[in-house]
Amino acid sequence: MAVSTMIPSPVYAGSDGTDSKAPIQPVAAESVTGAELYAINCNRCHEERFPKEFTATEWTTLMLHMRVRANLTAAESKKILKYLQGQAGN
Amino acid sequence: MNKRYRLSSVAGVACLLWLALSVMASAQVSQEDFQKLQAQVALLSQQVQTLQQTNNAYQQKIQSLQQQVGSTKEIAKSAEEKASTAEEKMNEPVDLSAQMASAASHNFVLAGDAEVTFGRTAGFNSGSFMMADFAPIFLYRANDNILFEAGFDFILQNGQTTLLNGQNADYANNTTVNLSFATIDYIVNNYVTLVAGEMLLPLGTYSERSAGWINPIPDSPLPVAVLPQTGVGAELKGAIPLNQYGRAITYSGYIANGPSSVDGTGKSTYTDSTGAVLPNLDLGGNVGLSSSGNQQNLNGSASGGARIAFFNAFKPHYDIEVGLSGQTGPYTTSNQYYSAAVIDASMHLSPYFMLQGEYINTWVQTTDIGTYQAGGFWLQGTYKLAAFNSDLTFINNLELVSRFDTVNDGLGTKTDRFTAGYIYHFSNTLMFENDYEWLNNSGPNPLPNSAYVFQLSYGF
Repeated sequence: MAVSTMIPSPVYAGSDGTDSKAPIQPVAAESVTGAELYAINCNRCHEERFPKEFTATEWTTLMLHMRVRANLTAAESKKILKYLQGQAGN
Repeated sequence: MNKRYRLSSVAGVACLLWLALSVMASAQVSQEDFQKLQAQVALLSQQVQTLQQTNNAYQQKIQSLQQQVGSTKEIAKSAEEKASTAEEKMNEPVDLSAQMASAASHNFVLAGDAEVTFGRTAGFNSGSFMMADFAPIFLYRANDNILFEAGFDFILQNGQTTLLNGQNADYANNTTVNLSFATIDYIVNNYVTLVAGEMLLPLGTYSERSAGWINPIPDSPLPVAVLPQTGVGAELKGAIPLNQYGRAITYSGYIANGPSSVDGTGKSTYTDSTGAVLPNLDLGGNVGLSSSGNQQNLNGSASGGARIAFFNAFKPHYDIEVGLSGQTGPYTTSNQYYSAAVIDASMHLSPYFMLQGEYINTWVQTTDIGTYQAGGFWLQGTYKLAAFNSDLTFINNLELVSRFDTVNDGLGTKTDRFTAGYIYHFSNTLMFENDYEWLNNSGPNPLPNSAYVFQLSYGF
């Protein structure tokens, strides 16, 4: 499996490298999706995990753990959790 | 015949006359009898009245009972209706997952990682396999605000036996279990979280974000050894967003038992039973319960520490984080202090390139050589070849890694190390790491000269 395909779907427009030379723009609050916040925060320390690797309830526990461990903001962790639960496994 | 008829008629009339006179004679009642009859009639009247009253009472009771029966019927009817509604609801299609999600307010999750290593150390003829780490993390969420988490390290190593000549030799094996961390986390509000227990200390980021499969190189940077990795105490931490997503100030502040002195003297070194002279500062102990079973702090008072950092994401995979952290407190009962300061930084310049590092310095007061400084820095870079979007999957799964780290223990031993290697990603959680390390040692306590190391890492 190629590394580029390991980034969870939906994929941030720049995560496959196609626009890596695009101008860097500030992240506007209203336009940021849970998937983008997931890419922003989780990939800082480790390879991203597929949402389907855990159930919705398990993601609740894991996100609480990561919120504490990585000092994520409350709003961001809630939005990331919503994204993960939306595509969680059974 | 007429004569007989006439006689019979006369006799009948006579009889009727007698009877009429008899009745008239008997209708004549005495006054006494009349009064008796009157009394009896009055008595009967009273009895009738009493019976009427009793009858009325019975009527009222009957009415009341009838009302109760009516009420009971209504209740029964209502119950019947409810049962009917419940039956209808039971027959309706139910979203069980939603019900389970709301009912299961708590949840247990097992996470963690495992590593198997094969390495050869310079000076030894052959390499060997090693079960480097099995580190499960238990997460139990009591509700949306309370989490208990505990991490363990299972370590498998050779056992030991003492030979007849008094020398120690490897024999069989031992499995030891270490508690890496165990904390109760309570989300106080959107900006404050309370953490209490055996904590991973926020001195830099390595301790908190260093699980084996996360670390791109099999071993830890050298200078983190001069910092305490964990501490028993309490911590307040959180993040304050700065107007937009992906930009925040994060903070941590804690008090912990702090380090201690092995022999309690505050001297820079101590000598163990084999005659080896070792640093006296003990960064890994003082967990509150002494080896004799007493609850006690091995130094004068608790240590305090904090970290503050700024994180800014320009867009996903383009971000920078800079942090400043430190800790200070006595490590002996005679008030010799151990203090540390760390500057950490990391940045991503695409989904493929990451650069991170830390500068660490510590100050240790002693009773024999004054204050000595121990510290160093490490700088690490990784690059994923998927950036080339090659047609060869093998190339896309490779990630190049390199690191330079250096440490000076402040007591005469200095080590520089350069590491270069690669990671092959089988999946997002299973990876194979291979590195070559060049070490340059000097001083009384040199580190082993690792030549190469292979490691299979799995995060779960």
